[in-house]
Amino acid sequence: MNDSTSDKFTDLYSQMGLKDIFSVGSSGLRTRRVRAALSVLGITIGIAALVGILGLSQSGSADLLKDLDALGTNLLTVQAGDGFRSQQASLSPDAAAMIDRIGPVYEVSATTKITGGVFLNDLIQDGRTKGITILAADLNLLRAQRGSLKSGKFLDEMTSQFPFVVLGSVAAERLGIRNTSGKQKIWLKEKWFIVIGIMEPLPLAADLDRSAIIGYPAAGKFLGFEEPPEIIYVRAYPEHILDVRSVMPATVNPENPEEVQVGRASDVLEARIAASDTFLNLFVGLGVVALLVGTIGIANVMVIAVIERRNEIGLRRALGATKFHIASQFLTESLLLSVLGGITGVVVGMLVTAIYAVSRDWSIVIPVYVIAGGIFSSILIGGIAGFYPAMRAANMSPTEALRTK
Amino acid sequence: MINLQNGSPKLALELKEISKVYPGPPIVQALSEVSMSVAHGELLGIIGSSGSGKTTLLHIMGTLSIPSSGSMFIDGRNVVGMSDKQLSGVRSQQIGFVFQEFFLLPGFSALENVANGLLYSGISSDERTERAFEMLGRVGLRHRGNHLPNELSGGEQQRVAVARALVHNPAFVLADEPTGNLDSENTASLMELFSILNEEGTTVILITHDLEVAESAQRKITLRDGRIHSDLSH
Repeated sequence: MNDSTSDKFTDLYSQMGLKDIFSVGSSGLRTRRVRAALSVLGITIGIAALVGILGLSQSGSADLLKDLDALGTNLLTVQAGDGFRSQQASLSPDAAAMIDRIGPVYEVSATTKITGGVFLNDLIQDGRTKGITILAADLNLLRAQRGSLKSGKFLDEMTSQFPFVVLGSVAAERLGIRNTSGKQKIWLKEKWFIVIGIMEPLPLAADLDRSAIIGYPAAGKFLGFEEPPEIIYVRAYPEHILDVRSVMPATVNPENPEEVQVGRASDVLEARIAASDTFLNLFVGLGVVALLVGTIGIANVMVIAVIERRNEIGLRRALGATKFHIASQFLTESLLLSVLGGITGVVVGMLVTAIYAVSRDWSIVIPVYVIAGGIFSSILIGGIAGFYPAMRAANMSPTEALRTK
Repeated sequence: MINLQNGSPKLALELKEISKVYPGPPIVQALSEVSMSVAHGELLGIIGSSGSGKTTLLHIMGTLSIPSSGSMFIDGRNVVGMSDKQLSGVRSQQIGFVFQEFFLLPGFSALENVANGLLYSGISSDERTERAFEMLGRVGLRHRGNHLPNELSGGEQQRVAVARALVHNPAFVLADEPTGNLDSENTASLMELFSILNEEGTTVILITHDLEVAESAQRKITLRDGRIHSDLSH
């Protein structure tokens, strides 16, 4: 034997173009369509789940962020906290005026809760208050909340002097009231009040949705109510909001600043976004598990294909296929299966996101990284799932592969 | 052609003291110092009973298995010691296989199956189809080109397999029990085809246990216990 032998035979190398590798790789799928479709399904479900979950979460978050943007993150709520004394601490009557003197503050609106029931008429006072709270409020409350009215109008200089009431969205619904033309009366702390407005929901202060709101002057005149403010809503310029928040307790109650509670209303919305992120992680986890199962499915199908097509492998080796040709055939097949599943999954996931987002009036947000990630992960899956079967096929001895049962 | 390592360019195949030992356990000496040569244009029958070593010899002649010792020349070139990749190249261009089970790929038409014989030889798809079409004509199946294997009779399937083995114009065709799955009529017809192809210049090596089939060969080598028992020409 002579070592120079090998050099003399370069003209005898097997050759195969990329087009042929692709064609041979796809032949297994063409001839076994049902099996191919079923194994594609696993990856489709996994990728569709991931694209759908990420798309929906992004669309949902986009909606919450849009709300947050519209409502602003610069609304502070100031109220008396628990003091060292046994009774509940309260704000001083001139707290609102003191807050107004803080430079960056541009809107201050106070509310005070009034004990008493709200009923549709004076005949059904059976103690069932429907959970509606009576509030005395400043006239700029709606502006401070960046809220709007479903119908009618809010309290003004004139209507706040008289027995007129504006209802929160939930309160109106519970009382079954839609009429704000001035003809609808309600029995409020044993006095008749005329409904002049119904507010839209206020995401930054859900308590107000369950309230019947009257003016401070009317509260004094008709209900004999003279209490200091309980909750003060404060709008300050966003860039100074943290500073305002930090000086707030000492401004409102210089002697006992620790008895003042200051909150940021938008924290609730941000918490909701954070909470949806937590669920997102959970669902992404489930999607990844689905993909893992899909990967094992493809690997399983490919291992079976290698065993079943032993004779084909032997024949191809006899026809001149190299180990590389055999490996690339099975790897291509696995990649085609998973990429087919990946593309279908991305399309299905996008459709689900679009349909759900439209049904919820959300804007459709499907980030490019989700689409690219879906396709990329399907390529990765195809490579991982196909590697072992491809190696097994390539390393099969031709004589062993040609043996028949 | 250059004569390398004492191989004669006039010979399609030459084996020198080829032995094959399967390490086992138990250790099996499948072939013992087999030396033989096949000239271009020969129709050779290798006969042997089960266990005589004829399948091992076929695998070695087809470069699907490597001998434990000895040397082998195809068209005058020593193939022992070549890499797996080079041996694949030798098969893709110099050897044609016909198997007892036909091994046609399902889902591919007769024409595509024949063209598959050129798949690994680096020839363009159009030329492969053209040559396959021509080859199908030579085995009398031009009209069946678009049919799938399961739409063909056993005899037709084996003719397609013969066309596939010949389409790349190999140095020789190795036919392993080619009539094993055929009835007597198709057997006769296939042997006639081999004779015609041989007359046209194709070198054919028939491996069979069927003496009747071997009768059509001009030369018969009988294997027994891994050794050449007789080598007769008529």
